[in-house]
Amino acid sequence: MKQYCYYPGCSSEATAKGLGLSIEAIAGPLEIELVEPKGWVCCGAVHYGSLDSTEAIVVAAYSLALAEATGLDMVTPCTGCYVTFTRAAKKLKEDAVLMQQVNRGLAAAGLEYKGSVRVRMLTEVLINDIAPQSIASKMKRSLNGLKVAPYYGCQLVRPNFGFDDPEAPQKLDNLINSLGAEAVPFPMKNRCCGSSLVIPEEKIALDFVYKVLKSAADNNAQCIVTPCPLCQVNLDAYQGKANSKFKTKYKLPVLFVSQLIGLALGLDKKALGLHTNIVSPKSVLKHIATKKQGVAGGA
Amino acid sequence: MEPRIGVFICHCGSNIGGTVDVAEVARFAEGLEGVVVASHNKFTCSDQGQTIIKQDIKNLSLNRVIVASCSPTMHEPTFRRVCQDAGLNPYLFEMVNIREHVSWVTVDKQKATEKAKALVAAAVRRVVYHQPLPKREVEINPNTLIVGGGIAGIQAALNIADAGYKVYLVERNSSIGGHMAQLDKTFPTLDCSACILTPKMSLVGANPNIELLTYSEVEEVGGYIGNFKVKVKKKARYIDVDKCTGCGECVNKCPVYAPSQFNMGLAQRRAIYRPFPQAVPNAFTIEKRGRPPCRAACPAGVNAQGYIALISQGKYKEALGVLRETMPFAGVCGRVCTHPCEKECERGKVDQPVAIRALKRFMADYEIKTGRECNQPVEINKKDRVAVIGSGPAGIACAYDLIRQGYAVTVFEAAPQAGGMLRYGIPEYRLPGDVIDNEINYVKELGVEIKTSSPVKDLNKLLKDDYKAVFVAAGAWVSQQMGIAGEDSEGVTNAVDFLKQANSGEGIKLGNKVAVIGGGNAAIDAARVARRLGAGEVSIIYRRSRDEMPAEAEEIKQAEEEGVKINILAAPVEVLTQNGCLSAIKCIKMELGEADESGRRRPLPLEGSEYDIDADNMIIAIGQKVDKDALPDGLDYSDWGTLSVDSVSKQTNMKNVFAGGDVVRGASDVISAVADGKQAAISIDRYLSGVDLKEGRPKAFKKAEDVPKDGVEKQARAEMPLLGSEKRHSFDEVDLGLDEEAALREANRCLNCGVCSECMQCAENCEPGAINHDMQDEIVELDVGSIILATGFKSFDPSRIYRYGYGRMDNVITGLELERLVNSAGPTDGHITLKDGTSPKSVGIIHCVGSRDKKYHEYCSRVCCMYSMKLAHLVREHLPGTEVHEFYTDIRSFGKGFEEFYNRVLEEGVNFVRGLPGEVTDITENPEEEGKLIVQVEDTLAGCRQRLPMDMVVLSCALEPQPDAGDVARMFNISRSEDGFFLESHPKLAPLSTATDGVFIAGCCQSPKDIPDTVAQASGAAAEVLSLISRGMVEVEAATASIDERACSGCQLCLQLCPYLAISFDEEKQVCRVNEALCKGCGTCVAGCFSDAISLSHYTNEQLMAQLEGML
Repeated sequence: MKQYCYYPGCSSEATAKGLGLSIEAIAGPLEIELVEPKGWVCCGAVHYGSLDSTEAIVVAAYSLALAEATGLDMVTPCTGCYVTFTRAAKKLKEDAVLMQQVNRGLAAAGLEYKGSVRVRMLTEVLINDIAPQSIASKMKRSLNGLKVAPYYGCQLVRPNFGFDDPEAPQKLDNLINSLGAEAVPFPMKNRCCGSSLVIPEEKIALDFVYKVLKSAADNNAQCIVTPCPLCQVNLDAYQGKANSKFKTKYKLPVLFVSQLIGLALGLDKKALGLHTNIVSPKSVLKHIATKKQGVAGGA
Repeated sequence: MEPRIGVFICHCGSNIGGTVDVAEVARFAEGLEGVVVASHNKFTCSDQGQTIIKQDIKNLSLNRVIVASCSPTMHEPTFRRVCQDAGLNPYLFEMVNIREHVSWVTVDKQKATEKAKALVAAAVRRVVYHQPLPKREVEINPNTLIVGGGIAGIQAALNIADAGYKVYLVERNSSIGGHMAQLDKTFPTLDCSACILTPKMSLVGANPNIELLTYSEVEEVGGYIGNFKVKVKKKARYIDVDKCTGCGECVNKCPVYAPSQFNMGLAQRRAIYRPFPQAVPNAFTIEKRGRPPCRAACPAGVNAQGYIALISQGKYKEALGVLRETMPFAGVCGRVCTHPCEKECERGKVDQPVAIRALKRFMADYEIKTGRECNQPVEINKKDRVAVIGSGPAGIACAYDLIRQGYAVTVFEAAPQAGGMLRYGIPEYRLPGDVIDNEINYVKELGVEIKTSSPVKDLNKLLKDDYKAVFVAAGAWVSQQMGIAGEDSEGVTNAVDFLKQANSGEGIKLGNKVAVIGGGNAAIDAARVARRLGAGEVSIIYRRSRDEMPAEAEEIKQAEEEGVKINILAAPVEVLTQNGCLSAIKCIKMELGEADESGRRRPLPLEGSEYDIDADNMIIAIGQKVDKDALPDGLDYSDWGTLSVDSVSKQTNMKNVFAGGDVVRGASDVISAVADGKQAAISIDRYLSGVDLKEGRPKAFKKAEDVPKDGVEKQARAEMPLLGSEKRHSFDEVDLGLDEEAALREANRCLNCGVCSECMQCAENCEPGAINHDMQDEIVELDVGSIILATGFKSFDPSRIYRYGYGRMDNVITGLELERLVNSAGPTDGHITLKDGTSPKSVGIIHCVGSRDKKYHEYCSRVCCMYSMKLAHLVREHLPGTEVHEFYTDIRSFGKGFEEFYNRVLEEGVNFVRGLPGEVTDITENPEEEGKLIVQVEDTLAGCRQRLPMDMVVLSCALEPQPDAGDVARMFNISRSEDGFFLESHPKLAPLSTATDGVFIAGCCQSPKDIPDTVAQASGAAAEVLSLISRGMVEVEAATASIDERACSGCQLCLQLCPYLAISFDEEKQVCRVNEALCKGCGTCVAGCFSDAISLSHYTNEQLMAQLEGML
């Protein structure tokens, strides 16, 4: 049993419920223990940093301090949280003055951050600590033949914190392939989905959504799989609008990596939160159900 | 003598004076013990400054001088000369560096002054202990080594040679010319590169003062200025350059194609090649990467790549000739060889191994189809006769090799027909008798005598009959027993006897149910023969699982197609009989346990699992052993019951008797038997010639590694056409053989791992006899006085920048590639074409690829702007109307005529976009972009984002240091700057010399530069060398090491440490001694000596301790 300090992030409790549910569901079978620190707050992502960078770091440091108290690696499933925490932790490590400033703020809440937390992305933990082979060895259902577009989004690989090559990432592809599914070539795999523009500039955002969907469909993907809750909700919820704008009829389910793994582990679709997906994942479930059940990969 | 010290402190303008309080340091120095005068000067190195020192020496009778100024590498020689001019020994001078060590690295004025004082105080204490040293001069050897045969090396070589001195020009490629030979036109004048370069190249070739060492690399450098000792490795080019006339006859014969490096891989050349027609020397080179894995894997060393290459060219007869260089069995091995070659085939790493065995058979079939001429008998020129016992593959292979060396050979065969196990052990449907006949006849026609029905029992009789050596290859003809009850009942037989009877055409009666015991090829053969003889139910009983069956998978598959059942994990424990006749076999079930020594899992019986199998006949096929009764007496046996021989020489306990094949190995395969026969033939020849049997055996070879597989498209392996299973009632052959079309296609799948296939077609067709495939690398030792390094650059590999798509997208090419495309002597005869052969209508040229980019190279490569514009001009000249876009960051057109050229290209209508493209992509956004390469760029002048669809994108790649620049720098003991290029000793005033005296640099190995600058540097380096030569002598450091013989322990560690070979060992006195003429005063030995016996003049312990004390 491997232990991690689990920071779910706000998305996985709201717009991306499927993410939170599926992670909790797969943790047991994969022998991962997720310790959620009590009282965690928003990571301070998105726009806060451009208004007051120091305050934004204090917000991040609040949860970092909570995580530090557990003595475990801090794992988040959200790419936004991951980038925010990684950046904050890096800045604090390099800037002693900032650290003092931030700790003065944290003192008001009775907290202190020493700078020892290792921030990690859940997908990276699954790939590096748990290993695709070991996940495959626990498979109960074959995903054989399911054509999947592996969507990294922009934040998982940028800025380059060493997870994967920002220009030609491969690790998600490998994970998908090890489950017996087939990661299709997907040139848009690391391009922006437009999610941060969807409120202020919807037209531009729909352009982005359309390009990603088209690239996946052109490469015969049956679904898109992503670790990012922001990408997921954008590609899922705005797929209809993009269709009407571009007169297309895409019906591509957008699944979380954890949901795909959960399916391979034979978990219940409700437990994986698949009912919260907007574009119905029925076609994916049907594909899996009709395939002869045998266990591929490292079994 | 009382020390009288003068201290002279320099301001170096504001360089030192701005940070150090120079006057204060002078005041401080004045108060130090022994100091007679301390003064300061704006520029001590100036004429006026020097005069002050000279006057003070004379007027104040100074006997020690200290100058505190810049680095000694800058001005120590200057001030030493000043002292000498004033009559003071130069070694009584000491320099203090208060610029690089103090003022340039210190901000705080007070601290800087304190440090300067401490350093001056140290020097004052040290200089007291200085001793006058005699001047040392060495002679300059007038020969020069130039490394690198590009335009820089060529220019320097011609300059020096024209002055009448000897030059060795070393070039690692097979021709001189370097990168300039690859260029089409040169900017800004648009001279044809070849037209201005090749005349110079031929001058080099013709100049008697220049010794060209092409295809060579420097291995080792020793010595010092004026007296370098250099070892150069002349790599084997397999061509005698002096004999080769460059006629090119060999090229037409060569069956192997390889990418042409000269044409940037855009065209193919042969394995024997000349990079370009104007090459100097105008001789060919053969590229060998090593022994191909197929050949290395073959026990007999059959040159598979050789015959496959020739098959691919439709030269079937020549191909068969290559195989017959090694052995006569194309048809036999083409059918039944276990083909270890295919397991190692590199093609298997791409898709599937080449069907080597099927190709071998194709050659044999083709000859039979088209008819074979009778062989001419070999002339017997050896007096000794050799006897071979056994006419199987081992015996025949041995006889074949011996008769071709001129020995008379007689083969004695016990059976009525020749062929051994080939004839009597392998069924006809796998290996037809006429195939064996043909190949044995081939050997007989050479003059080998084969006596059938002639068993040999008495070796002494043979030896008395004047046979001087014997090779015993009588095979293993007795079946192993199972050791179970009832094994000798009627109805039980073994595979050896069964197959022999079947192959001899003897009538065999079988019941309906036949069980074969065993999992090897003999078991499968027996089962399939039983089916053909009419048995209704044939089953194989094998004790392990299917994966462990030693028989070939293809054979098992065919057997099953023919209705043979396979019972795995079962072992017979008893033969059940009725009236003495077999009725059933009692078997026990097995399970697999731990792996045994063969690596296969050991079968273990499952107790109580016995069951019966009904059977009318049982054929035991669990292995064979040697029939001792049939072999001659007097030979030793191993514990396995086989003949005992030396593993290398195959010699038995009798010195003139050798043995091989199954009689030594037990039941084995054909190719191993052939290998034994060949090795025995070598031993017999050595034995009869009185040469040591084992020296140099087995012969070492280099295996081809890192076979490139980029761009190899997957292609299915040729399937062997089979006789339909419904037709397999008779003994007609099952494998039908490849047809010509399939064979050609299959042969072309070969990756030519060794590059040269050693098919020997070139050597056979070379009239001047210039080709020697056995050539070895050779080391040449040179004595030279000066060295010029002109090793050039490497073009940056743009596939490192993923977003530009080089290597991923067709039609993204490098500048050098376009250079070849636009060249009328290039791969497309000067037509600029896309991958599909059409011409581009739009071309985008991206500048600064790998340059001015902190991720790759921070520096500007200096030539890219200009060559990009030149290429733009050439594209529009070749294809008028083509849209050309230049994507640039800044245009750097700084040279003579460069800006004018820029204006010309602008006026010609080339579009200039200021902006570094973010990416080149084939992801389209609208129909106009379909099929194009889209350059996405922010136009920083127009202030907008642009997507520009192009047909072709050209990357103007950086110039970077050669990949081995670090090794070269170490070898020549010079430094490199941060960017990796060789470091000059002063960026402005000594740009051609290096940290090592006598070693100069020129051209792009120093930094990226254009042709005019390169040529200027080369001539400059030549002038430096000529200046040294004309001086004839050069003064060297007088400081040398000396060994106190009383303290020397004779351990000789210093001897190994000395880089100048200046230390020798006196055997008589058991001490080491320094040759002062060779010592460079580096001090390595001093630091290394455990006994503290070595001291270095001018760096004595006293001096160093005093210096330290002064500082503290």
